[in-house]
Amino acid sequence: MKLVSYMSQWRGIAKEAMDRTAIAVKFLCCLHITDTYFCSPTHVYGPSMLPTLNMVGDIVLVEHVSQRLGKVRHGDLVVIRSPLDPKRCLTKRIMGMEGDTVTYFDPMLGDATRVAVMPKGHVWIQGDNIFASHDSRHFGPVPYGLIQGKVFFRVWPLDCLGVPGQ
Amino acid sequence: MGFRNLGLLGSFAKEGLEKAFSLGKFFCFLHVTDTYLVTFVVTSGPSMLPTIDLIPTMFLGERISTRFGKVTRGDIVIIRSPQNPRKLIAKRLAGMEDDTVTYISNPDEPDKQETIVVPKGHVWIQGDNAYKSNDSRNFGAVPYGLIQHRLFWRVWPIKGFGPFWKH
Repeated sequence: MKLVSYMSQWRGIAKEAMDRTAIAVKFLCCLHITDTYFCSPTHVYGPSMLPTLNMVGDIVLVEHVSQRLGKVRHGDLVVIRSPLDPKRCLTKRIMGMEGDTVTYFDPMLGDATRVAVMPKGHVWIQGDNIFASHDSRHFGPVPYGLIQGKVFFRVWPLDCLGVPGQ
Repeated sequence: MGFRNLGLLGSFAKEGLEKAFSLGKFFCFLHVTDTYLVTFVVTSGPSMLPTIDLIPTMFLGERISTRFGKVTRGDIVIIRSPQNPRKLIAKRLAGMEDDTVTYISNPDEPDKQETIVVPKGHVWIQGDNAYKSNDSRNFGAVPYGLIQHRLFWRVWPIKGFGPFWKH
């Protein structure tokens, strides 16, 4: 008799737990969809985009709509998966689209300026701080397919709230 | 009279919204499974003959090994084309990073071989049909980050249904 009453108690609790878990899962699914297809916040840090982005770290909003529609342009700040380490994402500026000729200057290799032509489907990315940035000047043009999203708004630190400057 | 109609409309709208929400939740769940676990993939084209047929063939592709870096040479993967970011291509992984790959760039001249070391973070992809495949022999090593799925099960045509690894 006691066993039956315990089981009915447990059944009630288990059902409630399942319902709550289902709600949590549905919420996380919706959050994930928004994150992947619309807009997501990202923490970016490092010296390669000074003075546009701070070295100690900013929280920026990244939108994932433009790169799917092919609307990413020269001069856009993008989050791109690193061609050297697929688990890392970089934040850099696009300085050349496919077919463009890019003239660049690497202070580590002397004063000479070099020229590169972008192959089909590739872009040239460069950090704003050319003295401390590991970018296309070192690993060459990267395929457009690696672009994850475009940075369009900074939310932290609060005194730099707004569109990251040119 | 007007108010009753409004009430009816309101209840229709509420029911419609609820149905839309359930549909939305279902699609979210489907999408998450698609993106992180398993999805259906349809391939067509001659570049992977004789392993994969010319005609449209459906496979199951998984994303767990690609995310954890567990794909190895010999796997057949779906990868975003470095030449056209909207195209997905199915090829075999012929070399991982730091491998030395020796390939024949022109199948009409089988004696002219070229050797290349695959750079860090990149892979070398090749179609099984050397004569009709636009792959790393044409556009070079591609970054690992472009790999989308690994094919592991053939679904359609029915006579080919079954596991699709270690080919």
